[in-house]
Amino acid sequence: MKWMGACLVTLGCTGLGQYMARQWKLRLRWLEQLRQMIYFLKGEILYGHTALGDALERVGERCQKAEGDRGLMGLPLFFLSVAERIRRQEGEGFSDIWKEELSHLRENPLKEEDIAGLKCLGDHLGYLDLNMQERNLLLYLEQLDGQIEYLRMHLKERTKLYTSLGVMGGLFLTVAML
Amino acid sequence: MDEMEQVIRIFPQKLRALLRQADTRRFQAEELRLRVGQPLLMTAHGAEWYLEESGMQWRQWEDVEEHTEGRMEGKLSEDMTGKQRMDTGRRSCYQVTAADIRDTLEYMSRYSLYAFDEELRQGFLTIPGGHRIGVAGQIVVEGKRVKTIQNVSFLNVRVARQIPGCADPVLPWIYSDGNICSALIISPPKCGKTTLLRDLIRQVSNGCQYIKGVTVGVVDERSELGACCQGRPQNDLGIRTDVLDGCPKAEGIMMLIRSMAPQVVAVDEIGSQEDLEAIRYGKNCGCKLLATVHGCSLEDIRRKPVLREFAEEGVFERFIILENRGRPGQVKAVFDEEGRQLSDGNVD
Repeated sequence: MKWMGACLVTLGCTGLGQYMARQWKLRLRWLEQLRQMIYFLKGEILYGHTALGDALERVGERCQKAEGDRGLMGLPLFFLSVAERIRRQEGEGFSDIWKEELSHLRENPLKEEDIAGLKCLGDHLGYLDLNMQERNLLLYLEQLDGQIEYLRMHLKERTKLYTSLGVMGGLFLTVAML
Repeated sequence: MDEMEQVIRIFPQKLRALLRQADTRRFQAEELRLRVGQPLLMTAHGAEWYLEESGMQWRQWEDVEEHTEGRMEGKLSEDMTGKQRMDTGRRSCYQVTAADIRDTLEYMSRYSLYAFDEELRQGFLTIPGGHRIGVAGQIVVEGKRVKTIQNVSFLNVRVARQIPGCADPVLPWIYSDGNICSALIISPPKCGKTTLLRDLIRQVSNGCQYIKGVTVGVVDERSELGACCQGRPQNDLGIRTDVLDGCPKAEGIMMLIRSMAPQVVAVDEIGSQEDLEAIRYGKNCGCKLLATVHGCSLEDIRRKPVLREFAEEGVFERFIILENRGRPGQVKAVFDEEGRQLSDGNVD
């Protein structure tokens, strides 16, 4: 019985370590996807002069298709739901729609700082002219690049760290409890 | 969704609720005017209406003074001027705020004013359904060019309506020996020239009792004729119609002739030298033309430098003059290229 408990504690801690490592990788993938979507959005706005609703819909659909059935659907669905709310013309502000839909973005690996950055983007999208859209999007892309670079740079070390911390922590707890 | 619902949906929640509460949909509104600090006015059924402060109902503007005099009886001094009375009367009107206009502009552009830069520079934007929103405020000039409009304080929402069959009275005059004639619709603002042209395009394209349908190319610079949404016309322009949406007229006419080989080219509100060149090119290519222009009479057109050339060259074989006799789209007279009157105002 004691050994079975020890095994479970070790396995649990190892799993937790792996979960943390996976979250790191997943956050990186989400941010990379977001960056790609923002690039598409920038293209739609700057070159197609497309209105926000249509641009978000096109980008959302494109990324949804590209990801296939089992890919990352959170962000494409978020874009699509914002586009749908704009289409419904219920008289709300864009920033309110964006924030509300963002709050529905559940089960995501994004940190608070990522969500805050996205919220801030929603506050300024659509403001003034094309030039301002480009600057807003470029500013956000710059922030995203910084985050992605940081996550990539520490990817190996963090995954190793979380995995081994999980295993070692599990073993330590087991020894301590025995 | 009917036209009024389309229009109501461009307003922010507060105004939208008031317009619904006042049952705006039952009016055949021609336009709604919003001016900061002034009453919200609507033109409908040949009269001007204002929205009550409570938003409960529309009242005819003529009622204001009577209403005020009645309400303020005993308080008005004898020497009070008419203007002061009217100002007092506004107390019972809903007054448009700067926030109303700012929010309306945001919603009507679908949060994308940047996408309407060019239109705003020209002082209007067109929303789905082909409704045109006139915009005025503080102009930002760069060099000698209007860069944009800021602090927008005045909006004029013009409700576009399709009236199938409204071109019926004109049709017999624009056909000659089984062929369609190039026609210029001359009309003062708000007399229904765009509505008439839209129905002409539809009937010429589909075919009617006078001739079978022909290919029509439409250069819809302001998206008013086709009310295109993502390139697809929302208004019925007929089965043989190709539309270049949002394209400058002169360029569009050339593009259409080279690419789509239309038998008839239709454009709204011509007038510039470039338009003339393009129309001349179209005429030389054997295309027939349907166009509209601002004016009150054939003499009016002959007095304008560019348009005079049109008239003198015989580019157009028919001139259709419109007027607003109670309702828009009334034909005042039809002339041929030599200025002979073919029909008087009783064509309908």
